[in-house]
Amino acid sequence: MARIEGQNSRLPGILRGVALAAVLVFFLFPILWIFLMSFQTNETILRIPPSLAFTPTLINYTSLISGHLQTSAGSLDLPFMHNLFNSVLLSSVSVIVALILGVPAAYAFARFRFRLGEDIAFTLLSFRFAPPLLVLLPLSLYFKDLGLSNTYTGLIWVYQLICLPLILWIVRGYFEDASPDIEYAYRVDGHSWWRAFTRIAIPLAGPGIAAAGLLAFIFAWNNFVFALILASADKQPVTVGALAFVTASGIQYGQIAAAIVLSIMPTLALALYAQRWLVEGLSLGAVKG
Amino acid sequence: MYEKANDLFGAFVAGQVGRRELLKRAAALGLTTAAASQLLNAASTRAMAADYNWQAHKGTALKLLLNKHPYADAMIADIEAFKTLTGMNVTWDIFPEDVYFDKVTAALSSGSTEYDAFMTGAYMTWTYGPAGWVVDLNEYLKGKSAPGYDWEGVLPGLRASTAWSGVPGDKLGGAGSKQWCLPWGFEANNVTYNQKIFEKVGVHVPKNLPDMLEVAAKITKDAGGPYGVGVRGSRSWATIHPGFLSGYSNYGAVDFTQSGGKLKAAMNSPQAKEFTKLWVKMIQDSGPKNWATYTWYQVGTDLGAGASGMIFDADILGYFMDGGDNKEAGHLAYDAFAANPAATEPTANVWIWSLAMSNFSKHKDATWDFLQWATGTDHCMFGARKMDFVNPIRTKVWEDAEFKTKIGKYPGYLEQYTKTAPKAQIYFTPQPMFFDLTTEWAAALQRMVAKEIPVDEGLDKLAASLDKQLKENGLG
Repeated sequence: MARIEGQNSRLPGILRGVALAAVLVFFLFPILWIFLMSFQTNETILRIPPSLAFTPTLINYTSLISGHLQTSAGSLDLPFMHNLFNSVLLSSVSVIVALILGVPAAYAFARFRFRLGEDIAFTLLSFRFAPPLLVLLPLSLYFKDLGLSNTYTGLIWVYQLICLPLILWIVRGYFEDASPDIEYAYRVDGHSWWRAFTRIAIPLAGPGIAAAGLLAFIFAWNNFVFALILASADKQPVTVGALAFVTASGIQYGQIAAAIVLSIMPTLALALYAQRWLVEGLSLGAVKG
Repeated sequence: MYEKANDLFGAFVAGQVGRRELLKRAAALGLTTAAASQLLNAASTRAMAADYNWQAHKGTALKLLLNKHPYADAMIADIEAFKTLTGMNVTWDIFPEDVYFDKVTAALSSGSTEYDAFMTGAYMTWTYGPAGWVVDLNEYLKGKSAPGYDWEGVLPGLRASTAWSGVPGDKLGGAGSKQWCLPWGFEANNVTYNQKIFEKVGVHVPKNLPDMLEVAAKITKDAGGPYGVGVRGSRSWATIHPGFLSGYSNYGAVDFTQSGGKLKAAMNSPQAKEFTKLWVKMIQDSGPKNWATYTWYQVGTDLGAGASGMIFDADILGYFMDGGDNKEAGHLAYDAFAANPAATEPTANVWIWSLAMSNFSKHKDATWDFLQWATGTDHCMFGARKMDFVNPIRTKVWEDAEFKTKIGKYPGYLEQYTKTAPKAQIYFTPQPMFFDLTTEWAAALQRMVAKEIPVDEGLDKLAASLDKQLKENGLG
């Protein structure tokens, strides 16, 4: 009887394990397949039927890093690493600018009531509603007049349409959730408003700021259309650059896979780093309870 | 020695020395292939400069908008010749094809002065031309061309296909046509087949569409994996323009008829229905499983990987798949294809990569110099001989012995071109709603192949829907 009970108690665990494995295979298999593809030539990738047995090659990575791609149409120059640099530059600077502007603004919207405050906050949110293609043509005309066409500064400015509303509205929620009494107590001790903001409010909203920053970075990283329309080929991010492997003379599947692996690295690294920080931030936030 | 070599190549360019003699004497002078090629280019440049002031815009900087394509690669490989000839500087932006036309449309619609010239398809100029975004090049062709430009040497079907009056339904290249762009390279739609699979199954190259249905069905049944015939099927205008429209035209069907200045959809004519029924059945019986997602890339990849027995698509798609690391490289062959058993010759619809001049360019005359150089005989010859600048737009290049030797390595390629060239042209009716209406045509085809609607009924509904849209837009 006890044995049957033991078996019964193990059964849910086994089922849970099987279910977890099925879910993991379902979600991770495409990523694993892409990773494996990145070590194969087009010929082995396109074998019929596909096979997991192959002789690995680093040619896809070396051609991406060296900038020379050998295709059926001959040798082609690929600025992929420059595209990767553009993505890192545009996304990280845009998020930093958005954090510098957005966090104090979020604090102001959360803590103070002022005239037209909600209208301004909603206007900033509405930037997220506008379809990019609708605003891009007028923007490109303004950019031409302002001399911002084809500049990193112009692009970082436009990327605020993605980053700023996201950071502002997410972080505002975190500030609103944190009790203002802690800040009042700190200020009663004779500290300035600025010190209360930097020493109390920001650490309490830390998880939210990290999450919002990470999310904004991912959205900025995945953006495609802003740089395409507003900048020349040398300012294009990786999302546009990756399409260069789809050519009239064939699709370079191996290089596409290697490009995907390389291009998810910065986001993955940031996510892993921010995850650790997020946990710290969450435990810090527990003081308010 | 250097002067002797220079004189020799100068004499060759002037036509005083034949090709064999040139090779013999160059070898006697101990010239390497690379040195000979350089001297030939330099001699051509000097010869061109002799009868036209190519240096009139010396110091001007031009910027081009290019698609990532072997034609652009060939131009870039030869650009030093243009810079030397003109003293101009040329820079370019290259974008992948998937996003290329978005970039072009954005640049032109915003009146950007950044780009002086750009690559385009002829269909696109049906929008760009009437909108005033591109320059009518007749003005330059008729009065400002270099004497050696030889516009007449461009295949007549291509010249006509890139010219249009702007009046919906007017014949391409007809009276009052404006030359919206210059042909640069083109592709005709014919059959490329895998000789290995054909031999294995024991079938012949199909002679017409009913024959193609049988051959494709046998491949699907007996080849042990590969399907019969690859054609495009995505919900896009690009599904209609290659094999489909070539065969459709061969059956005597047209997309629209024009009467009293009004267009009427003709996709439900008896000829159109006869052809479409066969086409739909061919895909259902022997097409790729995911046909509705198939674009240029999938059709080509399957052919190169040995997943399909043949394609009815661009001849240069077969050419590109016949090299590089494609598994079936060396096993492919080409044939002209007249879909209608009653037809005497093929009617291949063509895609023409062309060069157009932006109306917002600040250096129009200098841009014209670039356009005539890039589409001129010397550069076309260089690209065809040394790079993958196929299909050449000029008769002279097709007749060139070196190019013939190169293309002769692709079995049947030259022959399919010779049979196809006389009637290779755009068979669509030019009208500004081309992309919307042709995409709807592809969507209707998808429903027929998926057996959601019978062909007769599907085509009647399609024609009624297009007529309604034409009327709403003042075209029907």
